[in-house]
Amino acid sequence: VEAFEALIAGFGVALKPINLLWGFVGVTLGTFVGVLPGVGPALTVAMLLPLTAKLDPTGALIMFAGIYYGAMFGGSTTTILLNTPGESASIATALEGNRMAKAGRAGPALATAAIGSFVAGTLATIALTLLAPLVVTLALKFGPAEYFSLMVFAFITVSAVLGTSTVRGLTSLFIGLFFGLVGIDSQTGQPRFAFGVAELLDGVDVVVLAVGLFAVGEALYVAAYQSRLTETVERLKGSIMMSLEDWKRSWPAWLRATAIGFPFGTIPAGGAEIPTFLSYTVEKKLSKHPEEFGKGAIEGVAGPEAANNASATGVLVPLLTLGIPTSATAAILLGAFQNYGIQPGPLLFQSQADLVWGLIASLYVGNIILLVLNLPLIGIWVKVLTIPKDILYAAILVFATLGAYSLHQSWVDLLTLYIFGLLGFAMRRWDIPVGPAVIGLILGPLAETQFRRALSISQGDATVFLTQPISATFLAITAALVIVPWLVRRSRARRA
Amino acid sequence: VRRSAAEIALSLGVLALGLGVAGVTATLPSEGGYAGIGPNFIPAVVGAGIILLGSWLAYEAFTGGWRNAAPDEPAARGEHAFNAAGFAWISAGLFAHMALIGWAGFVIAGVVLFACVARGFGSARPARDVAIGLVLSLGVFLFFVKLLNVNLPAGWLKPLLGSAGI
Repeated sequence: VEAFEALIAGFGVALKPINLLWGFVGVTLGTFVGVLPGVGPALTVAMLLPLTAKLDPTGALIMFAGIYYGAMFGGSTTTILLNTPGESASIATALEGNRMAKAGRAGPALATAAIGSFVAGTLATIALTLLAPLVVTLALKFGPAEYFSLMVFAFITVSAVLGTSTVRGLTSLFIGLFFGLVGIDSQTGQPRFAFGVAELLDGVDVVVLAVGLFAVGEALYVAAYQSRLTETVERLKGSIMMSLEDWKRSWPAWLRATAIGFPFGTIPAGGAEIPTFLSYTVEKKLSKHPEEFGKGAIEGVAGPEAANNASATGVLVPLLTLGIPTSATAAILLGAFQNYGIQPGPLLFQSQADLVWGLIASLYVGNIILLVLNLPLIGIWVKVLTIPKDILYAAILVFATLGAYSLHQSWVDLLTLYIFGLLGFAMRRWDIPVGPAVIGLILGPLAETQFRRALSISQGDATVFLTQPISATFLAITAALVIVPWLVRRSRARRA
Repeated sequence: VRRSAAEIALSLGVLALGLGVAGVTATLPSEGGYAGIGPNFIPAVVGAGIILLGSWLAYEAFTGGWRNAAPDEPAARGEHAFNAAGFAWISAGLFAHMALIGWAGFVIAGVVLFACVARGFGSARPARDVAIGLVLSLGVFLFFVKLLNVNLPAGWLKPLLGSAGI
């Protein structure tokens, strides 16, 4: 009931004309940039961050919620109409959506993605509204030791458990942790790894790292290995309306996908990749038309797209209630919060209830804006897709450099950006995931603070992490996640 | 045994980074009040971790190559051979931009960057690229300076742009 009252007050904030305007601007820009091929949600959020520099915190966060949702939807449009998925979470959609488009059914594919995103996003936001106060109640009992152990759990799941290689995932994480150390130590004021460079004393900015890895690195990679490949944009023929049959096949998929996507978003499971594939597999198993899968089955678009959006909303649960980002995009959002001096977590729900609930209310509004805006504007998004690569990447880099330069008006940040670009190129080429590095940069300093606070409270007794029951549980789960798969692999290898 | 020079070099690079972190950490103070650990403790952990990971990567690189990595052959990844010119044009554009922005200003640096990147992606129409780059950079400049009150250098175009920028 309390949450309900808070939410009503939140709607009061979100529905203010000026905030509604920021929501509209955010969704439109997010979709526009998200549609651009090669630009995923993380880069979209990072590139649009400078635009909010002069807004009040509430307006800025509402605009960000819009950008976040818009970027997700924009990505699915690209995947359906172009055969190259922008991010791993879109691969499942690419399987069926692009086939549908090739068969002249691009309209219904886009419609089921848009309406499915709306349904899943709204249901997931309801789940967020109900779940967040419960997590906050629990989190208020957490001390520094619990937080630290929870962060260790998040570090390990995003880097070591998922992905193709444990060692490369961990390497990415530790490089991010190293970047997080650069700058002034928040506890003692001791400069670390700054080598007397003024720009480095402020630390490595998450926007510079994300834009360097995702924009500069991607531009270098595409120019080097893909610039001579030709891509075909599928035409939008016929009606975008879904037939009765399409509706009947889509809605159960939307609901099932929401049930899969939201829980996966709330745990640190590395973003939307797993739930989208899981949803695809479930739909393929349950479908009455399994023969259509691989040739353009509408359930194969409806499910993964809904799962993607539900998990994007689920990610906001740990981000808002605990201050823990579980995807690269969430890490950048957390960086944006920090720019305003806002530290998400249970205390924020008490100290700045207006802002948090205004943000949650704006998620409901954002979903509606997305639905009313995107289907009518689909023609524009299709045009955006046909921008030639040379113009596209040149424009992306002009914006990328602007974001970095506006931090200190200094070329040093541009050099840092280029170095991160080289790093991003190498990571892409040699198959090292970039997400853990971004999460490590943002979460590392927070984990260090909690670690040192926990030890201060215990007077230097390091067993505190194991003697506190909640903290010990987190560490035990973390250890199990690492050891069990390793034991399974070993016993398999021995049997073979 | 498959051995990739790049993988070996990257593994050793990670190892070197770890050693560097450890070396700098040795110069940091260790006193830390009640906690008993100072600002050098976590850097030491991170440095040790990077050294360990670099060694692990190097071990994989020398014994059959990194596990489950993307294929080395560009064709096997569905891509074309490394296009050095493209890579170089983009790098050159970014360095020119770095050198020009504080001196010639945001707009001119932006135009040069735009033209270089477009060239790197195979554009053969420099005049078109300069024109589009100019419209874009000028638009972005005016938007940020006039509407968002973000300071950007006007540089050589200061006489034309008047009071806009710094």
